[in-house]
Amino acid sequence: MSGPGSAPAVRISIESACEKQVQEVGLDGSETYVQPLDMSQNLARLAQRIDFSTGSGGEDEAGGSPSGRDWGASEPEDEEGLVKFQPSLWPWDSVRNNVRSALTEMCVLYDVLNIVKDKRYMTLDPVSQDGLPPKQNPPILQFVSKKKSLTGASHILLKGAERLTKSVAETQENKRQRDFNSELLRLRQHWKLRKVGDKILGDLSYRSAGSLFPHHGTFEVIKNTDLDWDKKIPDDYCPLDVQIPSDLEGSAYLKVSIQKQSPDIGDLGTINLFKRPLPKSKPGAPHWQTKLEAAQNVLLCKEIFAQLSREAVQIKSQIPHIVVKNQIISQPFPGLQLSISLCHSSNDKKYQKPTLEKSSTEDHLYVLEHNLHQLIREFHKQNLSSSVMPHPASAPFGHKRMRLAGPQAFDRSEITSLQQTEGLLEKIIKQAKHIFLRRRTARTIDSLASRIEDPQIQAHWSNINDVYESSVKVLITSQGYEQICKSIQLQLNIGVEQIRVVHRDGRVIILSHQEQELQDFLLSQMSQHQVHAVQQLAKVMGWQVLSFSNHVGLGPVESIGNASAITVTSPSGDYAISVRNGPESGSKVMVQFPRCQVKDLPKSDVLQDVKWNYLRGPFKEVQWNKMEGHNFVYKMELLMAALTPCS
Amino acid sequence: MTDTDALRNAKRSTRIDAWCGYTMEAPPVSAMPVSGGTINMMEYLLQGSVLDQSLESLLHRLRGLCDNMEPGTFQDHEMVFLLKGQQGSPFVLRARRSMDKPTMPWHLRYLGQPEMGDKSRHALVRNCVDIATSDNLMEFLLEMGFRLDHEFVAQGHIFRRGSMKIVVYKIFRLLVPGSTDSIEALSLSYLVEVSVVAPAGQDVISEEMRNFAEQLKPLVHLEKIDPKRVM
Amino acid sequence: MGVTCVCQMPVAEGKSVQQTVEILTRKLELLGAEKQGTFYVDCETYHTAASPMGNQGQQGKLMYVMHSSEAPLSCYALFENGPCLIADANFDVLMVKLKGFFQNSKANKIESRGTRYQYCDFLIKIGTVAMGPSARGISVEVDYCPCVIVNDCWNLMVEFMQSFMGSHAPGLPSVFSNKHESVYSPADTMVQYMELLNKIRKQQQGPVSGIR
Repeated sequence: MSGPGSAPAVRISIESACEKQVQEVGLDGSETYVQPLDMSQNLARLAQRIDFSTGSGGEDEAGGSPSGRDWGASEPEDEEGLVKFQPSLWPWDSVRNNVRSALTEMCVLYDVLNIVKDKRYMTLDPVSQDGLPPKQNPPILQFVSKKKSLTGASHILLKGAERLTKSVAETQENKRQRDFNSELLRLRQHWKLRKVGDKILGDLSYRSAGSLFPHHGTFEVIKNTDLDWDKKIPDDYCPLDVQIPSDLEGSAYLKVSIQKQSPDIGDLGTINLFKRPLPKSKPGAPHWQTKLEAAQNVLLCKEIFAQLSREAVQIKSQIPHIVVKNQIISQPFPGLQLSISLCHSSNDKKYQKPTLEKSSTEDHLYVLEHNLHQLIREFHKQNLSSSVMPHPASAPFGHKRMRLAGPQAFDRSEITSLQQTEGLLEKIIKQAKHIFLRRRTARTIDSLASRIEDPQIQAHWSNINDVYESSVKVLITSQGYEQICKSIQLQLNIGVEQIRVVHRDGRVIILSHQEQELQDFLLSQMSQHQVHAVQQLAKVMGWQVLSFSNHVGLGPVESIGNASAITVTSPSGDYAISVRNGPESGSKVMVQFPRCQVKDLPKSDVLQDVKWNYLRGPFKEVQWNKMEGHNFVYKMELLMAALTPCS
Repeated sequence: MTDTDALRNAKRSTRIDAWCGYTMEAPPVSAMPVSGGTINMMEYLLQGSVLDQSLESLLHRLRGLCDNMEPGTFQDHEMVFLLKGQQGSPFVLRARRSMDKPTMPWHLRYLGQPEMGDKSRHALVRNCVDIATSDNLMEFLLEMGFRLDHEFVAQGHIFRRGSMKIVVYKIFRLLVPGSTDSIEALSLSYLVEVSVVAPAGQDVISEEMRNFAEQLKPLVHLEKIDPKRVM
Repeated sequence: MGVTCVCQMPVAEGKSVQQTVEILTRKLELLGAEKQGTFYVDCETYHTAASPMGNQGQQGKLMYVMHSSEAPLSCYALFENGPCLIADANFDVLMVKLKGFFQNSKANKIESRGTRYQYCDFLIKIGTVAMGPSARGISVEVDYCPCVIVNDCWNLMVEFMQSFMGSHAPGLPSVFSNKHESVYSPADTMVQYMELLNKIRKQQQGPVSGIR
């Protein structure tokens, strides 16, 4: 009855068309009837049909729209329906009467309220305490009903809001879960994971790559949930976090250095903490990948160090290797020490003041650190590949070559070659020796080159070299005469313990690691070079070589090497130049004049004849340092030119 | 690497050291008996089988569980030789050669009777002698008086987990005796074997093997199968 | 290991085995050969146990199991005029398992022990062949390491052997006869030793006891 003109909801007829309702019609046509209701049952049924709300609804509506349709219009209908009821609805009569009277009362009340509301004909004034109680009723009623409806509405709103927040939280939770799962999937692609109980454990050790290091290297995957949802989510937030073992936290590196003097034993092992400034860690936890990689690096460094210290203790060397705390010290060459230290800074130590030590950071041999890493990986690989699957499959596991040893009757040398493996420490010491030797060779050559201007010394280092061997080509030349004086070309093959010098003519000289040996050798070569240069120059100038000796047996004894000497004559044969050059004594140049030119030669009674004038006279030393010219060969060229008469 | 493995390796290397030392340093001439070899090795064995269609999932599982080595497949030709004595059961030797790696030595294997022992042991235990030999093994066995009983080709996958060897293979019958060119599968399933060869009296191994077998449980059921009862 | 020749050095007239060995080694040392420790080759004899029923043909056939210090991880099993199996040391364990079928006649165990010399590319092993406690003869093994083809180095080897064995240098060993151009294998050395040891055993058994 919500709108005007709508039919009443229930149409009540007094008699049913059929006395008895047919419940079902049998196949034979017989009808089964529903037993007619008795009085009280019928009453109950009809009472159910009464729509109490119809009346009140109309009332409400009427109250809601006072200017609306008039009240009487609906009443007759109601009246009509109820009147028809009357005879059969005897027991409900009192109810009807009461309802009806209540309706009348309400209608009156309604009218009164309407009138009061208009305030044209009637006003309500507050009265004294003992005033009529019914007068106060309506505002209270209104208030209560308003409150009720408001609470109802708010209830619904609250419910909706709750559902909304729930669904938002749910989607976020879902998203987070999905993120966690996708992160886990990504983690799974790079790291070995397994589920133990309700935990997810991962393996960051190098065991699957062949490492035999006993550290378990397990990390735990945790869900990063301790995040305040009120705050803004940080950009680098990751729902997945990893918990790494405490001893693998922080960062580590291996420091390899070669030092001249051994420091006091007392403070060994404590030096070499972090001196390079730590990268400022970003606020917030780093990503799991970086975390794991750092931990893995720490583990690898630890493994390398453990392996090295084990070898250091096991290997017997003439000078025993020392292992103190985080440092291994070995003596590759006398007076020289190689130290390998494990520098591990865990997070809590991060803020400690870096120890002030001047000596070391720059002598860190990064190459050797790198090579250590490479060596341990080689070692891992060896572990893996040494135990290949047996063939045939029934055969026991083991080294493939070992299995061949029996049936192929390997002899003792073959078997021992199977056994032999050089340790990490030995290899790195060898490499260190080589690096040291190479550096010192370079330094020796450089210092000679800068100290001695004439002749010049050039070194051409090969770019590519082995870890145990490198080579340098040393050329000794004179400035301006590079094309004609190419006599000394040395190939220095620098090994681990010694330097092999190969001359251009194929002679091989082996020098030890002592610096002095190489220096002396180069000095003697330089001295020889001058004499060789004179020889070459003579060829160009048309002079003739009379005698040449690399190793002169006469004259003062040189402390290093031997003096070399050459004598050349001018094309006409009038003049002769004799040069003696020693690594220590330097050069001495003499010129021999023809006899005729020598004025102060005492006249001899025997040599009267003119022809004797063509004999050579005595030698005179040239004051070499007073000669013009910027280097020895240039001076020599000038001298030769001066002694060659123009013709 | 497990302890037993390490032990075994250590043993082997010390033995070699002993040999080398012996020959290099010239000890007294009548020092030691020459016969060598590792005496009293035992094979611990669990067996099971999977149908062809579930092979892939088993292999997948094994790849996850086993050591990270290059995955191995194999194709072997096995010949079983019998030597009949006057009385008692014949002496059985198995000669195996790798068909895919023909340069590897032949493998001659003696397997003893399964140890009865206690029922609580989880794996079949039997004596075993593994010998690597030159490739004229067959000729030699015939010369010794052995007769070829049967032969087959085994083809499959091999895994390793510590000292444990896991083989998953199919058995093929040779259509022409002695010729591995034409072979025929014997069944629609793969045989799965988990075995460890270790010195006698290390029953911890069988425990370890059972734990491993548990991990393969839904895919394959590995049991200790007494070959005598099957026959 | 390269081509190897194993031969017997007769005991010098009026000298003991030990003295003859000394003469030989002194000659080698004078040549400039370097002493390099000791060596041994041993040979155990197995015979089939109490004639198995179906194997009448096999009866009397002897199987030899040999070891050599040169290949300490190997074990050689061979038959006279038959195949030679090279196996690892576990073969000895197998022979223990097989003792119901093959019996080791301990009395027939024969071995050669002595000194190993190196002279440039040659390995020379002078051994005293002994059965039990008594020395029965001298074995000389010459190994020319760089070569595995018999024909390529046989003449050189003969020449070298003549330098210290004089007229006792051997002729071409029988195992070489079908090996002229093929690759020499360590098994061939063992076959030579087996033949040599058998010969020495028979030599001694003939006049001394005549029984087996």
